Amino acid sequence: MTSLETVRMVAAREFRERGKSRAYLISSAVTLGIILAMVVIPAVLSGRGRTFTVGVLGEGNDPILAAAEALTADDESPTTIERISFDDRDEASTALEEGEVDAVLVDGRELLVTTTGGFGGSDLERLLQQAASTRRIQELLTTGGAAADVVEILTAEALEVVPLRGERGEEAARRGMIAYGGLVLMYIAILSYGAWLLTGVTEEKSNRVVEVLLATMKPWQLLAGKMVGIGLLGILQFVVTLITATVAIRVTNLFDFPEIPVDLLLSMVLWFLLGYGLYSVAYGAAGSLVSRAEDAQTAAFPMTMVAVVGFFVSFRALADPSSASAVVMTFIPPVAPFVVPVRVAFGAIPLWEHAAAVAVTVGFLAVLVRLAGRVYAGALLHYGGRLKFREAFRSAEM
Amino acid sequence: MLVLDGLAKTYGQVRALDGCSFTVDRGRMIGFLGPNGAGKTTAMRAIFGLVRLDAGSVTWNGRPVADEDRMRFGYMPEARGLYPKMKAFDQLVYLGTLHGMTRPQAKAAAGRWLETLGLADRADSPVEELSHGNQQRVQLAAALVHEPELLVLDEPFSGLDPLGVETMAGILRDQADRGVAVVFSSHQLDLVEDLCEDVAIIDHGRVVLSGNVDELKDASAYRRLDVEIEDGGEFFRHLRGVVAEETDGDRHRLLVDKGTDVRELLAEAAAAGRIRRFVYTTPSLSDLFREAVSR
Repeated sequence: MTSLETVRMVAAREFRERGKSRAYLISSAVTLGIILAMVVIPAVLSGRGRTFTVGVLGEGNDPILAAAEALTADDESPTTIERISFDDRDEASTALEEGEVDAVLVDGRELLVTTTGGFGGSDLERLLQQAASTRRIQELLTTGGAAADVVEILTAEALEVVPLRGERGEEAARRGMIAYGGLVLMYIAILSYGAWLLTGVTEEKSNRVVEVLLATMKPWQLLAGKMVGIGLLGILQFVVTLITATVAIRVTNLFDFPEIPVDLLLSMVLWFLLGYGLYSVAYGAAGSLVSRAEDAQTAAFPMTMVAVVGFFVSFRALADPSSASAVVMTFIPPVAPFVVPVRVAFGAIPLWEHAAAVAVTVGFLAVLVRLAGRVYAGALLHYGGRLKFREAFRSAEM
Repeated sequence: MLVLDGLAKTYGQVRALDGCSFTVDRGRMIGFLGPNGAGKTTAMRAIFGLVRLDAGSVTWNGRPVADEDRMRFGYMPEARGLYPKMKAFDQLVYLGTLHGMTRPQAKAAAGRWLETLGLADRADSPVEELSHGNQQRVQLAAALVHEPELLVLDEPFSGLDPLGVETMAGILRDQADRGVAVVFSSHQLDLVEDLCEDVAIIDHGRVVLSGNVDELKDASAYRRLDVEIEDGGEFFRHLRGVVAEETDGDRHRLLVDKGTDVRELLAEAAAAGRIRRFVYTTPSLSDLFREAVSR
């Protein structure tokens, strides 16, 4: 029997047994429930017919607002727009600032908003843009116009959006949103699936099954099999959750699902694998140091701290993905899985840096696997109190 | 044939193994005896490569034990353990495949062993729901499921009730008869005496006595005399060659030098009073054990 076959068998058992365990099914169901609730509840609430309040200033606004209402007239819950007229721009801005109106339409050409729309905050903005475009096409049809005009209408924004605060940068906002979402998901996934490995290793040691297993295989095969099996289960849960969320968002039309660029998606998958690899190996070694499940979290404390610190420092990269600190963090392996995807999202990492970061992290992972494998081998058959990393490393027997 | 030759292992200041050597032949059952902390578990782990030896070698059929050989070894460690939430049957199938069986082979073997051990109706129960005795049986099946050529069991009889002991003993006997080399450790010397042709006694990491039980008894420098004399008093006070004695009323259990003449003993006993019992025999395994480990 080859090493890989052994690893595959361990992974398959892990996948099968953990996959049908109540803990896994419940955690999956709860995750799905939360995702669905997050999507469906706002959709249901907003489904009762939305009402926007739009300030109007100057001429030519009414046809757009009427068109906007007409656009949703056939929906189950038509949108209604209340109008408040203003006489000058300052007055309108103040009202907008104070939240009396959701936006201000100026002369049928300009749209004042508070800030650039984020994830789902710009429904009104999009509706009005659409309405304005519709208006202009209708005008074009009555007056007769060139094809170029149609193209211009379809490709450009009909209304000029003027935010009271911040820069206009919808693309940046969208990428930031994806980066932020990806960062949080990555953090949750790495920590929770790492914790599965931690408790899984401790369980095998505490119920003593490990000695029978080690009589047939090398410690690294057992560790690798568990990593793969739990990793696959984790990815399965992750993918199912993402698909459910995507479908739910599409079905309820809660907000426009941001299109995730392929390069970003690939980099997120790659860094998820690297991050999971790093943390699960470390968690596996930590789990082998203790004999009781109660002690597992304590043994894993250093890893958890590193992950938490990594997560928070990566917010700096979110704020300024090209800063010197972001570049430095790119080459610190435990932090890189959180930081690099963020920089990729903003297009703020040169290819060579990305490649070098992957190389550094893979190299670090290779060293870590050896160290952790040795700690694991030294600690597994040591029952009783908690071992120190160094003691376990020194006493490796296999 | 399994040969442990000069195994040595030191943990910090503790010498767990100090030149431990013994041999297990196919078709033989060897009792591996020794006081607590003598090195039994370490020696057994060494067979499975779970200990990095400082010196010595473990060979199987004349060659150092390789990973493929271990696929055909069965092991029941002192620290018992199975996956508590995994079904007994699934567990045995898993361990069977880890030992190189195909899934169908492993399934057939798992079914057969559960049947043999009277657990067929509990095949789909998670191990944690089984009684202690039944968990022990599954553990035994785990060591046997892949039909090993060598069976190493650390304290297989501890915690078993008399019926369990009987079942376990019967199965080990069967395995040896099938040609399996069986080695197990135990503190139950009477049981070992009944069950094993061979023993190895380890003390302070070194095998101090090993070989065929009957031959070892014959070779002993002592004999056992179990005698009961009505109002015999302490008649043995006059005897030459008494090494140890234990008196309970009229009953005396003596350990005497092998060279002592039986007729002389009998004459002395007859002179002391009416003899109700006079048994002269080789020493028990317990005697051998005590003698071996007290040196």
